[in-house]
Amino acid sequence: MVERKHVIPGDVITRGNHRYGSFIEKRGDDYIALRVGLAEVSHDGVKLNPLTGPYLPRTDDQVIGKVVDINGFGWVVDINSCFDGFLPASFVFGREFSPATHDLSSKFKVGDVIGARIESYDRSRDPQLSIRGEGYGKVPEGEIIKISPTKVPRLIGRRGSMINLISERTGCDIRVGQNGVIVVVGPPDGIVKTVNVIRMIDKEVHGADLMGKVEAYLGGVSGGS
Amino acid sequence: MSMKKNYVVEIIRKAQMVELLAKGKRLDERTPDQHRPITIQTGVIQKANGSAIVTLGNTEVIAGVKIATGTPFPDTPDKGLLVVNAEILPLASPYAEPGPPSEDAIELARVVDRGIRESEMVDLKKLCIVEGKTVYTVFVDVNIMNVDGNLFDATSYAVVSALRTSKMKKYAVENDKVVMKDQEIPVPVERTPVSVTLARIGDTLVVDPNSEEEGAMDMRITITTDDDGNVCASQKGEASTISPEHVLEAADTAIKVGNEIRAQIVEATK
Amino acid sequence: MEAKRKLIGDDGRRLDGRKWDELRPISLEVGLLKNADGSAYIHWGKNKIMAAVYGPKEVHPKHQVLPDRALLRSRYHMAPFSVDERKNPAPSRREIEISKVIREALIPAVVVEDYPRTAIEVWVEVLQSDGGSRVAGITAASLALADAGINMRDLVVGCSCGIVDSQVVADLDDAEDKEGSGDMPVAIMPNLNQVTLLQVDGIYTRADFQKAFELAIAKGMEVYAMQREALAKKFFTGEAAGPTEEEEVVE
Repeated sequence: MVERKHVIPGDVITRGNHRYGSFIEKRGDDYIALRVGLAEVSHDGVKLNPLTGPYLPRTDDQVIGKVVDINGFGWVVDINSCFDGFLPASFVFGREFSPATHDLSSKFKVGDVIGARIESYDRSRDPQLSIRGEGYGKVPEGEIIKISPTKVPRLIGRRGSMINLISERTGCDIRVGQNGVIVVVGPPDGIVKTVNVIRMIDKEVHGADLMGKVEAYLGGVSGGS
Repeated sequence: MSMKKNYVVEIIRKAQMVELLAKGKRLDERTPDQHRPITIQTGVIQKANGSAIVTLGNTEVIAGVKIATGTPFPDTPDKGLLVVNAEILPLASPYAEPGPPSEDAIELARVVDRGIRESEMVDLKKLCIVEGKTVYTVFVDVNIMNVDGNLFDATSYAVVSALRTSKMKKYAVENDKVVMKDQEIPVPVERTPVSVTLARIGDTLVVDPNSEEEGAMDMRITITTDDDGNVCASQKGEASTISPEHVLEAADTAIKVGNEIRAQIVEATK
Repeated sequence: MEAKRKLIGDDGRRLDGRKWDELRPISLEVGLLKNADGSAYIHWGKNKIMAAVYGPKEVHPKHQVLPDRALLRSRYHMAPFSVDERKNPAPSRREIEISKVIREALIPAVVVEDYPRTAIEVWVEVLQSDGGSRVAGITAASLALADAGINMRDLVVGCSCGIVDSQVVADLDDAEDKEGSGDMPVAIMPNLNQVTLLQVDGIYTRADFQKAFELAIAKGMEVYAMQREALAKKFFTGEAAGPTEEEEVVE
């Protein structure tokens, strides 16, 4: 049996002896919510799904970022989080990298958009990024839009149902970073539709019939425009 | 308040902006000479003599007018004082910091002030109570609440709307003394200046740039016109050039768009 | 010297008609500002105050960074048109002190240890002021922090009580604050039952001190109910009570 309830910071979710996840504090026997969100108590433990909050980097997350600075040792990347990410030059140029021989801006300039992975993150320094792997690196074209990271699961939908529906109906390729940054590539009218429907999803309050609203907005025609 | 110029617009988005503009469209579907929706609410701060909250798209500003009496400047003994001040509040943008006004905030205040003053919107002689001794002092303070581009126009519309709906106490001279009467009178407003700001992105002039467009623009020009289609103030901004053709095109656009916005301001402040 | 006017009538009513323990009308709205990570607007009596939060974010200048927790910055600022006589926009000593006590009232509620090496900025802007603006500002700021999704142990809520015409009253307005004989702003974390702001001026008997203090807390709890409603209005109004078919709860 699963018990669900809306909580705000300071609310007691439940009492007893349970496993518990992020955004929850244990005080004595009480499990206290630390965020505005939807709490769930089941045999799996106590969980809190936050309805608002920043993107907190986790190792292996796929993110989309913007290069905002270059220093001697790599690129500083805005990943829409509490911290800027850092892409070490040695990860890109290899171990022979040296600031004297390699010009970093020849690879990525300030203002470039890149797809990257969180290589490592601990509390003592900024998250390190890596672009090793298929599909990472510079994003050559597209429109960028940001949503609250807490809305990313809704945008993707169960097994991708929502994102696939939007993609089909608008004819756009949509790449969603776990940090809430999204790249949309496609025909201009398709991009405008996609951006507007994503903004609608971002604003929608939890629990509303989202699929229905999105279907209504996008209409019955598939393939864009 | 200071603004760090840290807003980096993604290169691919700027390229897309320029590509769309070549087809006469902007990212938010406006045409180059279209401004964003404007809303005007007046009388929002009861402790002020007049006030207005203006939204221009997502840019939001609040202006408040405080009127008192004081001594005139020695070189203008028959004129009242009018001071326009603007602050970009730290709550308006992640790039705004608390502290004394930056050069951006000061330029904003002075450009808006110039538009009001040079148009002679308020006849300062009508603010004189006793020549050389007592005049009205009118302070208009604008606080920027949310930055999404074109603070110049939003601030100007807020100042104009607040002044048009401001009331001040009536003063009379009785037995050689200045006496405050119980009556309230409107601030003497003669005309309605309207500021219109254009940005150049690529080769195209666009009216009312939002934050992203400002991040991609090379040059900005603000032109204030009055009810008779006269240009009364202008300011070119950003470290770039503007061609003479564009200056004249901007003036024509400012007159045309200005007239339309003037009608809206007058309607909202009746 | 002219006699001070009576602030409480023979019928026990104050100048604005309230009884000794009544709050002024209060309304709260969350999330009005588009750029801020979190925001809340409070209309409390004639006070009109906007609070906004940015962060957690990188700390500038870097040397101020705290290695094991977030740095909470706050500023209480009054607009020049917010009071009867125009106020110079530069921060006054009063605003600087209030900025400090507001910061110290909010920090205990924020789990700053969860955000090392970051800054959390809290901006309280008073657009119109009429007594009790600091507690109203704290009440709005705590909602703005919750709206921003920053981990908090509890909300923070405040109320000011004081002495007027020798009587303890709740929620002093500007006239009562200026002409009365005591003012006591109090802020608490309502679930933890801990005081995070306490300032007292005036002369209170021991009995009156307790009465005013306990009244401030009781009234604060009434305002807390309004904070809950404001958050529910933004985040919880929807047809279903739980996740719908199309999504999974992601850890």
